[in-house]
Amino acid sequence: MRHSLTLRIGPATFRIGSAWAQPIDQLARLYADYPDVDGAIADFTVRLQPTSAVRRWVRPSIFITGDHGLADAAPMSLAHGLLAAEMGMNLQMALGWRRHLLLHASSVEKDGRVLVMTGESGSGKSTLAAQLGERGWRLMGDEFALLDLDSGAILPFPRLVSLKNKAIDVIAGEVPAARMGPLLGATAKGDIRHMVPRADAVARMGEGGMPALLLFPRFGSGPAERPVGQGEVFMRLTQASTNYVALGEPGFAALTRFVAQVPARAIDFPSGEAAIAMVDRLWSEIA
Amino acid sequence: MVGEEFYRREGAEAIIVRPLDDIVLLYHRPSGQTHMVISPVPEILDTMADGLPASATMLRDRLALLYDLGEGDVVGEIGQHLAYLDRIGLVRPA
Repeated sequence: MRHSLTLRIGPATFRIGSAWAQPIDQLARLYADYPDVDGAIADFTVRLQPTSAVRRWVRPSIFITGDHGLADAAPMSLAHGLLAAEMGMNLQMALGWRRHLLLHASSVEKDGRVLVMTGESGSGKSTLAAQLGERGWRLMGDEFALLDLDSGAILPFPRLVSLKNKAIDVIAGEVPAARMGPLLGATAKGDIRHMVPRADAVARMGEGGMPALLLFPRFGSGPAERPVGQGEVFMRLTQASTNYVALGEPGFAALTRFVAQVPARAIDFPSGEAAIAMVDRLWSEIA
Repeated sequence: MVGEEFYRREGAEAIIVRPLDDIVLLYHRPSGQTHMVISPVPEILDTMADGLPASATMLRDRLALLYDLGEGDVVGEIGQHLAYLDRIGLVRPA
């Protein structure tokens, strides 16, 4: 393709090709501190191409494609090209990765031990991970946590953090402008702005840690906290995993070990500050 | 009981049993499916561990040695569990 970039995020290498310069230029700026892997063989290819030849010039409209397709991916406006590239990378990872059990979860690390947070989109797991990443924790990822099938460690996947709607102002208020991407207004998911993880999170993206606490955060009420039984944890994590079924018995062994060993709590919180206080307390009490 | 169905359990190596704190997980290797079950299903499968054909009445008698089964149609209940386990492939008609 006319414009392209090769990126490594955690253990995965992506080649992003685009018919337009703008999404690649934006990615190159935001991923500037990531390892230079130009020429490396990519695990996945993401292609941003026009929905038709004319659409390359007239109200450009992007179609995301790659090794693993999504039948009903809607075309997106070129103004949202950066989002299209990020979505494309997530999609390839979710559909194609087989080397680890992939959990739809955020994760942060302290003293070599990992806090994993999983929940639906809008639960606050991404924002909470971003905030903890600015407060002494190492951000390992806001979207996918990779569970190693042999060691049981959680490995990082520190892509750009995708902030939505109200979370944008919360994070932009405490992060230097150089680490913030452009505001992408009125996407299908509302307003979106990307945040570059801190330099140490990027530099240590090959370094995992053993999981010590699992949280099911839910923004919007509380503060409240409840223990979660292992049966419910197992069920919710199989739902949060995109490749549990595909991995077969090794996935079963890894997930059951995680569930049996890692204490779990559901937390409801009315604000980021309340959530951070709950995390600090639970981390010192049970992790 | 005349006409009662007999079942045998899938081979021991076909099912991986992982008890968690409130449920038991059964991973069925031939199908790759994971099943979440609660009592009395794990106990019924345990009493079929020898792999020999067994009926609901026989299993009721074996379970009665280990557990207080209470009142009610225990044989009927065990029969329903066996039929369900047959549908998901963990036991098969003998």
